[in-house]
Amino acid sequence: MASRRVDQALADDKQLIRRLLAGDERAFEAFFNAYFARVYRFALPRLNGDTEAAQEVVLSALTKAMRSLSDFRGDSALFTWICQICRNEVVDHIRTRRRSRHVVLIDDQPELRQAIESIEAPDEYDLVKNYGRSETGRLVRVVLDRLPNAYGDALEWKYIEGESVEVIGERLGIGTTAAQSLLARARVAFREALEKVFGAEAADIASSLEA
Amino acid sequence: MNDNDIERVLQSAGAREKPPREIGREIRGRLRTEWLAVVASRRSSRRRQTFFALAAGVLAAAIGVWFAAPRPGGAADPVATMTFAAGEVRVSSGWYTAWRDIVPGQPLAVGQSLKTGPSGRVALALPGGVSARLDHDAILDITGTEELTLERGALYVDAGFATSPASRLDVITPSGSVRHVGTQYEVRLMGTGVRLRVREGRVEWRARTGGIEQSETGEQLMIAGDGTVERQPMPLYGEAWDWAAATAPGIEIEGLPLTTFLTWVGRELGREIAYATPATAADAAGIVVHGSIAGLTPVQALDAVLATTSVRAVIADDRIVVGSEEPVLQPAD
Repeated sequence: MASRRVDQALADDKQLIRRLLAGDERAFEAFFNAYFARVYRFALPRLNGDTEAAQEVVLSALTKAMRSLSDFRGDSALFTWICQICRNEVVDHIRTRRRSRHVVLIDDQPELRQAIESIEAPDEYDLVKNYGRSETGRLVRVVLDRLPNAYGDALEWKYIEGESVEVIGERLGIGTTAAQSLLARARVAFREALEKVFGAEAADIASSLEA
Repeated sequence: MNDNDIERVLQSAGAREKPPREIGREIRGRLRTEWLAVVASRRSSRRRQTFFALAAGVLAAAIGVWFAAPRPGGAADPVATMTFAAGEVRVSSGWYTAWRDIVPGQPLAVGQSLKTGPSGRVALALPGGVSARLDHDAILDITGTEELTLERGALYVDAGFATSPASRLDVITPSGSVRHVGTQYEVRLMGTGVRLRVREGRVEWRARTGGIEQSETGEQLMIAGDGTVERQPMPLYGEAWDWAAATAPGIEIEGLPLTTFLTWVGRELGREIAYATPATAADAAGIVVHGSIAGLTPVQALDAVLATTSVRAVIADDRIVVGSEEPVLQPAD
């Protein structure tokens, strides 16, 4: 079972960047673990599921982000910033290769995009939409990706994989009490994010998914 | 408020997709190379900034020092030279730089990467006479003056035929690293694991999780993704090693004793040189070789060189048997 220590200092975007630029090997591991899979999931559906194209685009986006880290001003979350780079890479890829079909997702629509990006930077927002079941499921997973990485993972391990709090603590490299606390914060953040994106409470979203 | 609704939402939505491990491994390796280059570039830049700050205070002295200082944007010192390439072999100097065809004899520096296509192979000369050879469908990053990072495919290292003491070399893989002690070995990435084959000498495997394993001549380690290690004996010669021999960079043979040349061939083919008689060994030691074997494989070189002597060789299993040419009886008139 993979174990990953949550280093509070590395959980902070600017601190992570400072240590990355200083050559801290643990910071590189933290950066890769926190962003690779999420950026991949961001790119893949926008490239019509073309894994080869996604590989190229994600590599290009992450390396461009790495080269520009010193320019990151912290106006948005680091993940949002990387996603913007990735979005540009997707467009460039489609334009130059003309191999993949550019897929415009509903979360690329301005209103919804603002809601999703506002998960890290709360804003006044009210959006009530009724999406299809599969699209709702995908949006729930997008919301998970927008939460702090440890939150998304812990929620998935607890409620999808059925892991105990003790095991979650082990996987995150923290104690059981800290894992309980993290899960509690993750639930609150997830609940709030769902309401922002769907304009509905978790119970209603669950019902629409189960319908 | 209970958590049941959260659980229902997550279970109905399902788990997030996990990227293929192979893709993750490749991107991680490439990104790490870029990160190292970024860090190195910033350190170099900081050194220059410090220097110029001092220069402002002590102008006259600084001018003298400035001429001796490294120029901004200057290329990094090469740490390897390409000695052999066949098929598609491309080099990249970072993400801003596209993959380009490698040029024969091209020097390579820290931060550069090599990629071989389905028919590509390449050999590098490293400091201390170490030869590193990359099999087809592979990606190798030069991540330090004594460090190579294998992202994909297989790498063969020969540190034993050097005329100077072999340099230290660490080969980094996603799950651990290999350090040699004067040896020949192959490290090949296989799925989430690593296969390590030691042809001569001894190597040390350092798992990313902290464990250390040693392996010696004629042994194969299969290191699984979960870190478990399985040991098996393996032959030192045969098809498994052919690709490494095919990329052998060759040696300068002009003026060498034949015995030295034969020793090189034996090492490249993983076979012991066995002289048929003491007299043959003495004859071989007295023969001086002339010419060049550039562009020839070890077997081709053996044929070409021996054709000019009275010595003959037969490859038989684990040995190359060297004997004298049989006298040819002329038919009586």
